[in-house]
Amino acid sequence: METTTNTQMTIGLAEAIDLGLMDHDKAEFYETPGGFTGFRYNGEDYKRIVLRRATPIADPSAYISVADHENKEICVIRSLSDLSDDQLKIVSGELDRRYYCPEIVEIKSVKDKMGYIYMEMRVTGRGEAFDKNCAVKDVSKNIRLLDDGRLIVFDVDGNRYIVQDMSALDKKSVRRLEPYLF
Amino acid sequence: MKSPIPRYMAPAFARQGLDAEKLIYAVHTDMQPDGSASDVYCAVSKDTLYILYGQEKIVKTEGARRIVAEYQPDRLESVPLSELGEPGCERLLTTGRLFSDHEGENKVILLFSLGYLVYAERLAKVIKNIRDGKDPLEEVALEEEPFCPKCGGRYPEPERKICPKCLDAKGLTLRLLGFFKNYRRKVFTIITVMLAGTAFSVLSPYLGSKFLIDEVLSEEGRYFGAIAGTVLLIFGVRVISVALNMLYQFVLAKTVPWIVFDIKLKIFEAMQRLSVGFYTSKRTGALMSRVTQDAQNLYWFFVDGLPYLVVNVFTLTGVITLLCILNLKLAFAAVFIMPVAVILFRILWSVFKRYHHKFWVYGSQMNSMVSDSVNGSRVIKAFAREEEESGRFNAVSDKFLETDVKSWNIGFTAFPLIFLFMFLGQVAVTAYGGVMVVRGEISLGTLLTFIAYLTMLYGPLEFMSWVSNWWARCVDSAQRVFEVIDSTPDVTDPDNPVQLPTLNGEIDVKSVWFEYDPATPVLKGMDLKVRAGEMMGIVGKTGAGKSTIANLMARLYDVTAGEILLDGVNVKQLPLALLRQNVGIVSQDIYLFIGSIADNIRYANPDATFEEVICAAKAARAHEFIMNLPNAYETRVGAGGEDLSGGERQRLSIARTIIQNPKILILDEATAAMDTQTEAAIQESLNKLQKGRTTIAIAHRLSTLRDADSLAVIDNGKVVETGTHAELLAKKGEYHKLYTIQLEGLKTINMDG
Repeated sequence: METTTNTQMTIGLAEAIDLGLMDHDKAEFYETPGGFTGFRYNGEDYKRIVLRRATPIADPSAYISVADHENKEICVIRSLSDLSDDQLKIVSGELDRRYYCPEIVEIKSVKDKMGYIYMEMRVTGRGEAFDKNCAVKDVSKNIRLLDDGRLIVFDVDGNRYIVQDMSALDKKSVRRLEPYLF
Repeated sequence: MKSPIPRYMAPAFARQGLDAEKLIYAVHTDMQPDGSASDVYCAVSKDTLYILYGQEKIVKTEGARRIVAEYQPDRLESVPLSELGEPGCERLLTTGRLFSDHEGENKVILLFSLGYLVYAERLAKVIKNIRDGKDPLEEVALEEEPFCPKCGGRYPEPERKICPKCLDAKGLTLRLLGFFKNYRRKVFTIITVMLAGTAFSVLSPYLGSKFLIDEVLSEEGRYFGAIAGTVLLIFGVRVISVALNMLYQFVLAKTVPWIVFDIKLKIFEAMQRLSVGFYTSKRTGALMSRVTQDAQNLYWFFVDGLPYLVVNVFTLTGVITLLCILNLKLAFAAVFIMPVAVILFRILWSVFKRYHHKFWVYGSQMNSMVSDSVNGSRVIKAFAREEEESGRFNAVSDKFLETDVKSWNIGFTAFPLIFLFMFLGQVAVTAYGGVMVVRGEISLGTLLTFIAYLTMLYGPLEFMSWVSNWWARCVDSAQRVFEVIDSTPDVTDPDNPVQLPTLNGEIDVKSVWFEYDPATPVLKGMDLKVRAGEMMGIVGKTGAGKSTIANLMARLYDVTAGEILLDGVNVKQLPLALLRQNVGIVSQDIYLFIGSIADNIRYANPDATFEEVICAAKAARAHEFIMNLPNAYETRVGAGGEDLSGGERQRLSIARTIIQNPKILILDEATAAMDTQTEAAIQESLNKLQKGRTTIAIAHRLSTLRDADSLAVIDNGKVVETGTHAELLAKKGEYHKLYTIQLEGLKTINMDG
């Protein structure tokens, strides 16, 4: 029996649309004397760039969009692992500043009052651990337990905090958080 | 007190040898330049910016629990203002930075987490004012410290100055009881009758045991042999007790629905008062739960929980008092189990509260999902995702079920154990009392009364276990209900509104910044001037900020920075009623309310005559399709009504705005869902109506705006070009680019056609 197929008629999405992946030979990230991250690409010099993760939660090192300071995309880094060590250091530094997300190492108390959750916790940013208090609204939306065991908390100010591994968190902290994990 | 230098910072700067008197403004941020945590105090004098890095030590003083910050400084940096360029703030995702732009060279001054952005922006403004030779504090908001004086925590919403953490359950209960305020007489009747009924209930065992055995059946008794009279007395007391109970239930049933009605009304009124921002931050399902489920929980608490709580507390007190009067020693033995039972109940309460919260969240998620799949049923069918949707629902439903089952399981296993424990107490009392009877220390009647009263304790204690569950639900629901009632709208009427006798319709948008979410400014210093009576077309790519500026002109949101002037007056100073009357907006999101088509058109002007309704429908080119419907203008639309197409709904929406007869008409993609012919016809009607009216038309299709008096091209939150169609084409800039792309597109379609 003769079958017909239309595979020859259609064109793949990847062929039709240019993802704009970064050409590593033409790219150079650098730090400006003023403390910003600059980018030389294709003969252009961008003195301030914006780096954005396409999947900041699931895979923070994949598909990083490089844009000028007006948020106009210049190119996309497929994976941070494709960068050389010195370039990686600069890009990671800028991403860390943008996606600053202290790690929660202990939950000292959680209080639920008038639609807000008040958390007192011990976190590590860059450097020593310190105590941090935060208020969370709309708990079911702003405390997210991921399938891989990580937990992300978004507070009312827009800050983020992460528990890298819920199973590694002490029992008391887990018990305090448990009512809010959905 | 409002002060530019927070009082806890002044000593820290003084210890660094700085004269606090010379400091003009100071803010607190939280990061070192490398991103590590620090308490950073930044102060500015007329010529220098001081940045003090260090750590705060929070000390709670005794008594008032007020916090005091002890500051341990690491280092002080001084930057002469002459070395700084134009200051500005950059919003990153969870952080922000203050930088200076000195002849194109940007330098980072401060890094901070997002919560401190608003303070950094104020600092930037002060530096800018000093550089510009203005009053340093001009247009800089000085606010009271955004910390709760009781616990020291930051207010979640600084402008509300409400610390939910310090609002206790007691306060919450008192507030709930406040709903009884309007029904004082009925409440007084309920409580009096209830207490009288309880007193008679408590009297029954005494008459049935002690009085009957010791006074009537015993030869030494004062009423020996008076059996008939005693039985009648016991029966009479019981009848009175039941009658009183029935009476209070009757009055209660007539009062509580009104209280719940009041609560629902308050929630609904609060929801109407709130700004658009509230609705975009809450899921509709959760809001529905608030009005219906939470109010219902409060209803049951008022009907079943609160009255029985009063009855049972009174019973407990009465019984214990009677036991003590009968025999103190035996009374102690009888009640020693109670503290243990109370502790066990308290533990159970906290577990129940936790499960109930989960139960509520899953319930709310299920509601949202049902609403999602009903509203999105076409998309679900089109992509054949029925099974996946069912799977998603099942997953939440399973969790809901699991939480519910767990909650009941705890109740079913823990409570019988507690009651077994209490029964052991009763056994012990019987044994000890038996010994006392044998020794002649108490009478048989006293022992039997004790046992009867112990059985009476069961009821209230058992109830306490259930009321804890109810109470958990009630507090949880009350928290959410008050959250809605207490929410203050972002957009409020000014205290001293500027009254304009007539509105000309001149709009001046001055350096407007706006963001829906903290880290994402949509408008970035937009400037735009629209003359009175002019038709201004706004064009730009998707997400450029076109609809946002329309929403801001109608003051559905307030600007983050900058101002919008209407006839030279800031829209924030105009009464909202005047603004709503004079600014009509046909937005992309069309909502038709449940009712007839005529009702929907009349929505903005309920006094409009039927002829005006037809005129408005004709102007919006809606009349023809309306007349094709069997019930014409009486056709019911909205939820459960006639299903109209996108274009038809848009036309009704235009008619609704036309009938409002606003001085400023904003058409936000108002004709996007229509064919070009209908669009042209509506355009023609609108052109006639535009006389003496300022019109802002936002459109993707540039052909719609060719005849506009002027056009503004928006890109990335700013106006990049203005001029007439011809001028902008000649400019060969952004507009020319957009126009060429659309023209090429049309040519291609025509060629294909």
